Amino acid sequence: MGTDMAAVEQQQAVAGHGPSPTPGAEGYLRIVEVRKEFDGFLAVDDTNLSIRKGEIFALLGGSGCGKSTLLRCLGGFEHPTAGKIFLDGQELNGLPPYERPINMMFQSYALFPHMSVEQNIAFGLKQDRMSKPDIARRVEEMLALVQLGRLARRKPHQLSGGQQQRVALARSLAKDPKLLLLDEPMGALDKKLRTQMQLELVSIIEKTGVTCVMVTHDQEEAMTMATRIALMDAGRIRQVGTPDEIYEQPANRFAASFIGSVNMITAVIDQDEPEFVTLRSPQLDTAIYIGHGISGFEGQEVSFAVRPEKLGIGKDEPAQPHNKARGVIEDIAYFGSHSVYHVKLASGFTIMANFANVQRWASESMTWGDTVWVWWGDNDGVVLTQ
Amino acid sequence: MSAPTVFGLLRRITPGPRWGVIGIPYLWMLVFFAIPFLIVLKISFARLAIAMPPYTPILEVDNAEVALKLNLSNFLQLGALQNGYIAAYLSSLKIAAIATLLTLLVGYPMAYVIARLPPSGRNIAMMLVVLPSWTSFLIRVYAWIGILKSSGPVGRLLEKTGVIDALQSLGWIEGRQILYTPLATYIGIVYCYLPFMVLPLYTNLVKHDGRLLEAAYDLGARPWKAFLKITLPLSRAGIIAGCMLVMIPAVGEFVIPELLGGPDTLMIGRVLWNEFFANRDWPLASAVAIAMLVLLLIPILVFNRVQQRQIEGRLT
Repeated sequence: MGTDMAAVEQQQAVAGHGPSPTPGAEGYLRIVEVRKEFDGFLAVDDTNLSIRKGEIFALLGGSGCGKSTLLRCLGGFEHPTAGKIFLDGQELNGLPPYERPINMMFQSYALFPHMSVEQNIAFGLKQDRMSKPDIARRVEEMLALVQLGRLARRKPHQLSGGQQQRVALARSLAKDPKLLLLDEPMGALDKKLRTQMQLELVSIIEKTGVTCVMVTHDQEEAMTMATRIALMDAGRIRQVGTPDEIYEQPANRFAASFIGSVNMITAVIDQDEPEFVTLRSPQLDTAIYIGHGISGFEGQEVSFAVRPEKLGIGKDEPAQPHNKARGVIEDIAYFGSHSVYHVKLASGFTIMANFANVQRWASESMTWGDTVWVWWGDNDGVVLTQ
Repeated sequence: MSAPTVFGLLRRITPGPRWGVIGIPYLWMLVFFAIPFLIVLKISFARLAIAMPPYTPILEVDNAEVALKLNLSNFLQLGALQNGYIAAYLSSLKIAAIATLLTLLVGYPMAYVIARLPPSGRNIAMMLVVLPSWTSFLIRVYAWIGILKSSGPVGRLLEKTGVIDALQSLGWIEGRQILYTPLATYIGIVYCYLPFMVLPLYTNLVKHDGRLLEAAYDLGARPWKAFLKITLPLSRAGIIAGCMLVMIPAVGEFVIPELLGGPDTLMIGRVLWNEFFANRDWPLASAVAIAMLVLLLIPILVFNRVQQRQIEGRLT
C-alpha cells in the first residue's frame, strides 16, 4: 500500500507540464514532452503524462484546449511536432493508425453506413486476416458483451443512438487493443441517456480490462467514468489526479473554477504558522482560518476557494469567531435535491451556499431579502497560490 | 345565394397557381418530347414514297372508311442481321460502354481529389472542369482534329516521342495518326462527357465523412484497402449516375465519331444520319431512332430504379 502511494506520487510529479520524467518512470502509456503545432498555432504544449495499465483516464477541458489533438496523436491521426509516445514499451512515433495496437471510438461513432452491425464489428478482424470461423466467434462474443446479439443484421441507421454507441464500442474492442481511445463518447446522446450509458460503458470497459484514454468537455462525465483526470487548458495540463483530488484539492484557480462551482475569494496571508494559517480578505469581515500549514509567506496574495456545498447557511449567527459572513439573500436557484443561495455580503461580494433539501419545503424558511449567515469549517477550503 | 356557388364552381374548375408550377414541366415534355416522338413513331410505320413529305400516310380516309396501315417492314429490316443495323447498335453500345469506363477512370480520381481540396479550391476546380463546356461543343471537337492529326504540333510530338509507333504496335491505330481511328472517338467522348461524370461523382464524394476513413485506418485498413471497402461502395450512387449520364448520350453520339472517328467507326448515330440525309429514307430512319430510344430506355429505367431504391433506403 505504502509503495503504491509512493508510485502514485511519483507519477503525479511526472504528470503535467513540467520537467522531463525521471528515466524509468513506470507507465503503460507514456507521453513524453509531446508538442503539436499547426501552422504556428500551438495546440499541445510540451506535455508529459503517464497512464497505468487498466486505467480509464480522462483528458478534460474546454474546446480548443488541445485534448482532442493529444488523443489524435495517440491514435496516429496527427503526428507530434516534438516528443515521444510509448505504449507498453513500444515507441509509437511514425507509426500510421493501421499499425498501432490502438483502437478508437469516434465522436458520433463513424460507423460504416453500408455495413451491418456484425460487418462493422468484423471489419477490423478482417484486416488482420483472421479465419472466418474465428471472426464469427469473436463478433458473437462482442455482440454478447454489448448485448446487441439480436440486432446483428441491422444497418447503423436502423439503430438508436445508444445502440449505435454500443456497436462503436464493440467495433473498437473487437481487436482487443492495448489502448482504447474514446472521443467525446457521450457527445451524441441526450442528457438522460448519457448518465445511464456512462456507467454501462465503464462496466463494459472494465470487463475487458483494456486501458482507456477518453476525451471529454463534460466534467460530470469525466468524474463519473474516469479513474484519473488530466485537466487541460490552452494546450497544457493543469492538473492530474483522481476525480475527488481534482475536486477537493484543485492545484490552481483554473482547476478550482473549471470543475464544479466555487466561491473564489481573494485574500492575503496574514499569519503563516506551521499548524495554521489565517487570511485577510477585503471581501469578508472576519478572518479566514485554515487548520493546517501551507507553503506560502506572509503578505502573499492568494485565492481562497471554497465550494458552495461546504458552506452552512442559516439565520442564526454561528458561534465560531472566523470563517463566517453575513449577507442578504439575493437569488435562490432551486434544483430540487438542493438549493443554491446567492448571498450578497456587505463588501458587495456574492457568495454561494448550497442547502440540501432533506425535508420537503425546508427551503421555504429562507427567502429573498432575508439576512442570513454563512459559515464553513477550518479545512473546508483550499488556498491557491497560482 | 346562387352567386357564391357559381364562383365556387368557377374557382374549382379554373386551375390554381399550383397547377402552373406542376404543369410547366409536363407541358414541356408534351410539346418537346411526346408530340415529336409520336410523329417519329408514326413515320416509322409508314412506307417510303417519292413525295413531299417522302413517306405514305398511315391513315387512309376513303369516304366513311378509315384504314390504319401499319408498315412493319422498316423494323423487320432493322432486325435482319445481314443489313448491319444490329451490328451498328452493338458497336454503338460497345464504343459507348468503353468510353464510359474510360471517362470513369479519368473522372473518378479527378472528383476524388477535388472533393478533398479545401472548400475554396473545390469551387475553382469544379469551375475549371465545367469551363470548357461554355464554348461550343462543335468547336471543341474540331479542336481535337488539330490536336490529333499527324501534321499538328501534338501529332508531330507524338511521332517524335515514339507514341505513334507504340500505339501502332499495340494495334490501336493503323496509319501514322490517331485522328480517324476508334481511339480518337474514345478520346473525343471522354473529353466531351467528362464534366457529366465528374459532377455527380464530386457531389457524392464531397459528402463523405472523413472520419469513416479514419475509422477504417484505425481498425487496421491500409489506405488503398480503406478506399476499396469504404469510399468506393459509398460512392456507388455517384458512379452509376455518372456512367448513365455519359453512356446514354454517348450511344447516340453522331458528331464525335463523324468528325474524329474513321470510316470504320460504326455508330448508330451515323447510320441514322445516313438514312435521313443520304438515302432520304425517312421511315427507316425513324425506325432506327425508335429502336435506339428503346435501347436507351433500358439503362435509364435501371438508373431510375437504383435512384428510387436509394431514396427509399434513406427513408427507412
